Amino acid sequence: MHRALRSLTFFWRPSLAVALGAAVASTVLSGALLTGDSVRGSLRDLTLDRLGGIDLALVSERFFREELARDLVRRRAAAAAAPAIVLRGTAIHGGTRARAAGVALYGVDGRFAELFGAGLPALEGGSGGLFPPLIVNEALRRELGAEPGDDVLLSFARPGEIPRETLLGEKEADDVLAARRFTLVQVLPDRGLGRFGLAPHQAQPLNAFVPLAQLQAAAERAGRVNALFAVPPRGAGSVDLRGAVRLEDLGLRLVRSGAHLSLESAELFLPAAAAAASAAVARGLGAASSRVFTYLATRMQANGRRLPYSMVSGLSALPELKDGEILLNRWAADDLRVRPGDAVEMRYLVMAPGGGFRERAARFRLRGVLEMAGRGADRSLTPSFPGIENARDMAAWEPPFAVDYGAIRPQDERYWDAYGAAPKAFVSLPAAQRLWGTRFGNLTAVRFEGGDPARIEAALRRELPRRAALEAFGLSFRPVKREGLAAASGSTDFAGLFLAFSFFLILAAVLLVGLLFSLAVERRAGELGLLLAVGYPVRTVRRQLLAEGGLLTALGALAGLAGAAGYAWLMMAGLRSWWLPAVGTAHLSLHVELSTLLAGWCAAVFAVLLAVAWTVRRLAKLPPAALLAGSTAAAARQRPGRLARRLAAGTAAAALALLLCAALSAEASSPALFFGAGACLLAAGLAFSALWFHRPRPWRRAGLAAMAARNVAAHPGRSLLAIALVASACFVLVTVAANRRSAGGDVREGAGGFPLFAESAVPLVQDPGRAAGRLALGLSEADEAALRGVSILAFRAVPGDDVSCLNLYRPGRPRLLGVPAELARRGGFRFGRTLTKTENPWRLLAADLGPGVIPALADANSATWILKLAVGQDLAIVDESGRPVRLRLMGLLERSLFQSELLVSEANLLRHFPSQAGRSFFLIDAPPEKAAGVAKALEEGLGRFGFDVSATAARLSSYHAVEDTYLSTFQALGGFGLLLGTLGLGVALLRNLLERRGELAALRAFGFRRRRLAFMVVAENGFLVLLGVGVGTLAGLLAVAPHLAAAGGPFPWPSLLATLLAVVAAGFVSCAAAVWSTLAAPLLPVLKEEG
Amino acid sequence: MGMAGGDEKLLVVRDLHKHFPTAAEPVEVLRGVSFALDAGEALAITGPSGSGKSTLLHLIGSLDRPTGGTIEIAGRDPFQLPEPELAWFRNRTIGFVFQHSYLLPQYTVLENVLVPSLAFPDRGRDGQSARAHAEELLARVGLGHRLHHRPAELSGGERQRAAVARALLNRPRLLLCDEPTGSLDRKAAAAVAALLFELHEAERTVLIAVTHSLELAAHFPRRCELAEGRCTELSAA
Repeated sequence: MHRALRSLTFFWRPSLAVALGAAVASTVLSGALLTGDSVRGSLRDLTLDRLGGIDLALVSERFFREELARDLVRRRAAAAAAPAIVLRGTAIHGGTRARAAGVALYGVDGRFAELFGAGLPALEGGSGGLFPPLIVNEALRRELGAEPGDDVLLSFARPGEIPRETLLGEKEADDVLAARRFTLVQVLPDRGLGRFGLAPHQAQPLNAFVPLAQLQAAAERAGRVNALFAVPPRGAGSVDLRGAVRLEDLGLRLVRSGAHLSLESAELFLPAAAAAASAAVARGLGAASSRVFTYLATRMQANGRRLPYSMVSGLSALPELKDGEILLNRWAADDLRVRPGDAVEMRYLVMAPGGGFRERAARFRLRGVLEMAGRGADRSLTPSFPGIENARDMAAWEPPFAVDYGAIRPQDERYWDAYGAAPKAFVSLPAAQRLWGTRFGNLTAVRFEGGDPARIEAALRRELPRRAALEAFGLSFRPVKREGLAAASGSTDFAGLFLAFSFFLILAAVLLVGLLFSLAVERRAGELGLLLAVGYPVRTVRRQLLAEGGLLTALGALAGLAGAAGYAWLMMAGLRSWWLPAVGTAHLSLHVELSTLLAGWCAAVFAVLLAVAWTVRRLAKLPPAALLAGSTAAAARQRPGRLARRLAAGTAAAALALLLCAALSAEASSPALFFGAGACLLAAGLAFSALWFHRPRPWRRAGLAAMAARNVAAHPGRSLLAIALVASACFVLVTVAANRRSAGGDVREGAGGFPLFAESAVPLVQDPGRAAGRLALGLSEADEAALRGVSILAFRAVPGDDVSCLNLYRPGRPRLLGVPAELARRGGFRFGRTLTKTENPWRLLAADLGPGVIPALADANSATWILKLAVGQDLAIVDESGRPVRLRLMGLLERSLFQSELLVSEANLLRHFPSQAGRSFFLIDAPPEKAAGVAKALEEGLGRFGFDVSATAARLSSYHAVEDTYLSTFQALGGFGLLLGTLGLGVALLRNLLERRGELAALRAFGFRRRRLAFMVVAENGFLVLLGVGVGTLAGLLAVAPHLAAAGGPFPWPSLLATLLAVVAAGFVSCAAAVWSTLAAPLLPVLKEEG
Repeated sequence: MGMAGGDEKLLVVRDLHKHFPTAAEPVEVLRGVSFALDAGEALAITGPSGSGKSTLLHLIGSLDRPTGGTIEIAGRDPFQLPEPELAWFRNRTIGFVFQHSYLLPQYTVLENVLVPSLAFPDRGRDGQSARAHAEELLARVGLGHRLHHRPAELSGGERQRAAVARALLNRPRLLLCDEPTGSLDRKAAAAVAALLFELHEAERTVLIAVTHSLELAAHFPRRCELAEGRCTELSAA
């Protein structure tokens, strides 16, 4: 090592050059890794910023007591807990009517602000205006163009307890939607509270904060919330809800009726988990339990007589009833004039797939009649039906379905007066569940009989919240901060990405170091020869050189680490500005981690040492005699082997054959064939160049040009290496440039031929694809006229993480779309690989893969790059009940509109996420000339639901913009690499010139002027650069010919030409610099030295 | 020059051939050179430029491999040795003096002379005795006062004398000199030649020198002329 140091310090100039080369390699390599660090670090910062002090979040479809937050803190189950209402809605500027859809609406109080170490006094006090106060973030203010003091209308889905897609769920727009006017009092900057959001996404959310009490009032949920944000106690990872949760937090209630005690659900349908748990509790107390499913029959008829609107109960307590048998109470039996054994037909309504109702009929045989006492007149069997239970008489019913009031007779009113909603008929529980069961449940109550009702009630209130699986009731905290920080590791490995982008830059730097080291060592060829001559083993000489190279590399790479931070900073600046479409956020900053610097240093040293080792190995192979003579050429120049000739001929023939195939094939513009032909042409161009260099050149024509040509061929290996480097880089740059696309030819296929798509902030229970649905949604006749000839496919959606390249975070729970059967029938979209070959891959979604496995489709880009999932592989998720489910990837869509989500069949989606009511994603097929009118009609007609229509081309363009931006980045960094490569050519040239300086000095002595010699040398090397650029560019253009011919986006000629011209210019400038430095040397010392 | 000698010869060269490949056709430089030398003998090899003198010397010094024929040094064919052993053999048996001194510019004169002793730090002499020997050699070549000078601070003759000292450090049995006085003026050349012979006599080494200089060649008791790839021994002057 000591000797190595002595040598390095003595030969400090070449050593410095090598160290600088290593520094460049280290700068780029470590800088690329730091870019990854910085993106990850920035995402972590964003996560911490948007969540403030919140570690855990519970956001439920169900509402629970606001007091739960206080109870948790009081019981020390949480260090802090803030109750909130979290809704999605639409904001409309009161004056300008400017609209912003997809607004995150938060009803909060001071406890929430405290989690951010801030206060929101503006919410606590009044607005000073007519309406309650509203705080928005800067992004929403911008969207609305609102200023403090302006009125803003917030529209959102009114939380409904009874599932909307059931008979008694509210569906009318006026029932579903709530709207309140607020006065804007404060605008938060887009950070901290202003950036608050639970979704791991770098996009700035549109946030609106209103007083919790005001939103509770607007949502008609006084004292109730649907979200808790919490900090766990010190040392605990989560908040234990058990003990604090009460029965009503689960949406359950206990109803006493005489000796009976019933457990019911506020949502009408009692969750199976609650039924089972309550039965177990009752059993423990010696009480019996039975299950009840009460439904509304629109009509019962027998013997030509009709009985309208009757409650019917399915009871487990009637085991003797067979599936087709029915019991009537005396009143009904008399009214219908039936006797046991008679047939009774029952009609009832069920939800139709499009959102309306369908009447069905069932036939029973009357098994018996119950007298009008006890079970025969038991009102408590009917749960609280909104619009019905409190009606004074039947004519005053206001249920969410059409009632034929004309069918209601006086005796029906009398029954109502006497018995209220007591069921008139009874069937077996299995029959009831078969007829009326829904995905939301198939029980309306569990009744407890026997034992002390008060004791049972107390036990149920105490035990049920403890025993029930709280997750099934939506009561579970998500470790949002931990998940967010984990997701901040990113869906895209930016370190890897920028390493790939910087590949040519790193390669060029490494080659440059190899050349510089080679240059430095070759000047000491005599020294090496001497060491070998005096008996140093080759191994020892190699080791010494490697030690020198290693030391230089280590020191250079160390110095390069300072540059790495600069390089990463530059990349961050690029991502914040020029390449913004790739990341979608300007909140990216430099993060430097020591371990990354160390890894970058190691990688750079390793890469550079490879180049050094290659040089050492090459030199150490030379005989000592040759080294003593100062020669570092490997061996006497030989004719190119048969292999080189065969390679040249073979690759040229292959290029022609592939072109012929492309011309003859049905797909005349087959990209793969053309790419293969281009690659073959590149190889052929290099092989022919090699042959040309080796061709003997008799002295036919004198002159500088001829001399230059001979000189180029003097070192065929070096010349070929130079050309190969430049040509390969140009080839890649051209092919990459061709892959850049703006909205182009693949838009229609990517969107399946749908020119428009829409998203609705409030899911639509009625299907806007059907005329009846549109009517129910309140679209006008004019809107209907505008929508004539338009087809709309509606998708159900389970909210989740965006799995497209637009999301920098690693998605945890992907957003799911339920594909309607219509799309599976219609087909369309372009598919890539599928698990099994099929004409219509949409049908794969219906495949039965066994329990717990759901067939799914995904966009190829999202699956490959974001989810890292291949066809046939599974993605594990958890369904609504907390059960693990595997999504098996059955096929990949190519460059589709569906890059943000995974697609499953609607049936499977409903099976595993039954509470997802309504449809919130829509594909709209409209003639191009009508598209604008259709969008306007739908947005105006459904604006209350936050219905936002966009062009599919725009969405595809935003996806393509990410790709294009990445490709631009690659082009830019590849261009830099190529520039550095041309500097390497300059170094190689300098090396040649140093070898030839005696020759050049002699030529000058013979009377050649410097300028002429400079021309000769620049011509030699300029020729190499031009040859490399020419071969690479031509081969690249051939490879991408189909892209050029296609009617897609414009080919980025200007940027490509600018890069190539910069390369050529850099090549000539570096040549000129090398030539100048050599020819500027005084003549005589050189001649003396050489002599 | 005919084959001479028997098993006791220190150097035996038999039917040595060497050709170099070129783009056109191989160039035959040596076409069957044979000779032998006893310990303490000295041989001058002369011949026109390009006749293969240096090539022959490099082959004897095992710096290059022959295309045909054999070389035995002290009864061993160095080309049969694996590379590390060949290096050790060369280090211990052969000393080189080249036309250019090839002193390493980053080292002092003493360090340059010590360079051969550092090739095998585990097998060679200890550092102390090597240093003592190097100082003694430098004193003998008249550079005792220049031990810590850099090569750049020496004259051409001094550099070459330092190179001679370096060649003798490991007490080689074969001293090979390639135009040892070729880059020196007459006076310096004469001094170096005298030094070589003095040390050759003292150390009883086999001395072979390739030279254009008839003056130097005249000092050698045996001399052979290389022409057209063949060696012809001339009677001593």
